[in-house]
Amino acid sequence: SIDMLMSPDKEKDPDVIPEDSSLLTLRIRKKALERREETIIVDRACRQETLAYEMESHAIGKRPDNPTDLVEEGELLLTVNIFYPVIFQKHKDHKPYQTVLVLGSQKLTELRDSISCVSDLQIGGEFSSQPDQAPEHISKDLYKSAFFYFEGTFYNDKRYPECRDLSRTIIEWSEARDRGYGNLQSVKMEDYTFNDLSLKIGFPYLFCHQGNCEHIIIITDIRLIHHDDCLDRNLYPLLIKKHWLCTRKCFVCKMYTARWVTNKDSLAPEDPCFFCDVCFRMLHYDAEGNKLGEFLAYPYVDPGIFN
Amino acid sequence: MSSVPGLQADCEELLGAFQEADTVRFERFAELWRERRFHTIFYGRIRALERNKLTKKTLELAQQYFLPPYAFQIRVGALYLLYGLYSTQLCQPKQKIRIALKDWPEIQRFQQDLIDSQHYDAACIFRTLRLARAFHFTAMPKLLNYRTKKKIQENEFKEEFKDPSNRVNSLITNDVLEELMNIHDHYQKMKCVISADKSQPDKALSLIKDEFVITLKDITLEHQEWQQNKMKLFLNAKETDEISNKMEEETLLGSEGSERANALARIKYRSYSAVVEASKSRRHRQVKLESSESGSNYGKSPSRSKKNSRRPQPARRRDAVE
Repeated sequence: SIDMLMSPDKEKDPDVIPEDSSLLTLRIRKKALERREETIIVDRACRQETLAYEMESHAIGKRPDNPTDLVEEGELLLTVNIFYPVIFQKHKDHKPYQTVLVLGSQKLTELRDSISCVSDLQIGGEFSSQPDQAPEHISKDLYKSAFFYFEGTFYNDKRYPECRDLSRTIIEWSEARDRGYGNLQSVKMEDYTFNDLSLKIGFPYLFCHQGNCEHIIIITDIRLIHHDDCLDRNLYPLLIKKHWLCTRKCFVCKMYTARWVTNKDSLAPEDPCFFCDVCFRMLHYDAEGNKLGEFLAYPYVDPGIFN
Repeated sequence: MSSVPGLQADCEELLGAFQEADTVRFERFAELWRERRFHTIFYGRIRALERNKLTKKTLELAQQYFLPPYAFQIRVGALYLLYGLYSTQLCQPKQKIRIALKDWPEIQRFQQDLIDSQHYDAACIFRTLRLARAFHFTAMPKLLNYRTKKKIQENEFKEEFKDPSNRVNSLITNDVLEELMNIHDHYQKMKCVISADKSQPDKALSLIKDEFVITLKDITLEHQEWQQNKMKLFLNAKETDEISNKMEEETLLGSEGSERANALARIKYRSYSAVVEASKSRRHRQVKLESSESGSNYGKSPSRSKKNSRRPQPARRRDAVE
């Protein structure tokens, strides 16, 4: 039969490259392997690699418990890259991004909810005088407006009454004079699914929230759903790739992630300076909780919090 | 990310051998595959994440040969290659073959061709792949990635694999000829109808050659044969050229050694030393040599290009070879 024609004569170990191979690919790979053996002491996957592989493959082949949650045949699967707004010098060439798989029949709001950005967790306000009273409200709860921009149309999130139309400013600006941007529309995000949109692959679009936190969105791939994909609708939008950001550690103990940042601090060696909760209180407050020295303190949320 | 090193060479070598075997039988391909032990292409202690990427790239490369403008035999070879790579890959679950929406009609036509020409083994293999759910139906053929490439790699696939692009044939296809024939007959009949003698048209009405459709067909066939002969000659010439080119290269390198010493003097004197000027057909090779030495010989290139323009004789050498 056909299968027998292809299988090897005897079972060989796939880790060992055969000695007398006529394939150029294998010869090159062998050299690279030998170099690796000489230079690397312990050759195993680092935790970033394990995490990346896990993320990519953890949902493959999953089926839902509830049959109504099964993704149907003919559903489209989009691969969306959402870039981080952080602009560090080291990210000049390769901007970090996270990759999300979305179903065609899902609403835009579902994608919006799945985007985790550190600016959503910021707590505004200066709390040097009352460190224990840092409020519970994070920016995500306070400023709920957001919009997507696809192909000349702004999709605004209008689910809550406090959501404002952020795109109105832009539309008014472009209509003020003839700036050559054509007709920009503004519609509600919750009324549209991805199937309703016409998109370009590889073209940068925009997601804006918190008024000025902008993420570039690029769709890299559209394909039909496959038998081997995850078919549980509840798991979508599915995160399959995330950039690993190193967290900033406390300046004092260098162990815990920073939770406070101080400016104009007479007790700190640099401006701004990062502290974990314990070290912050030990340094800046005495046993009774009085403030020592002059400083301004803000709660800090590290971008690497999603690792 | 960049392509897998050496993979294109290996695939082209296998497909080339298959093309030379001049058959489309799967048994022949399987022999060639086993000779090279192609299934070992995935070996080498690769960890899971890297292995997924590698397999994806391998399948993507092989898939490119499956589509036009490649010759029929190459496409069948690519189908077998895809089958082989898909079955012997080490990834679990298996990586799939991406086919774009725009290519599907073409592939279905290809499958119909296979069935019509009774190449049942190829058709069976395609069906096996379909049943094994080996395809991803995508919008675009290539999965995008985000590296600012320093140099845009242009994939140069071998010319021999491509069907000779036959503009004349694509214009005057069988359908067109058939229709011309019909119209011609109709025209003749109309002429008969309106002329006095019902069996043949009036002499006054004969404005075109009666046989022109047949002549057109003959001319097209002639052109096709001529093109095939030219291809064969070109391939033969290439082989002989490669032998003679090796000798040219040696003389070139030798003379460059002396030129380096007198770089500035050359610009001044513009003397013509005994440098063998490579023929026009080898000019692309010449350019490559210069670029590798551009670091040390800035002054050399302008004088060289001046020499190129003053030497029309090499052009004639190419005709002599052909």
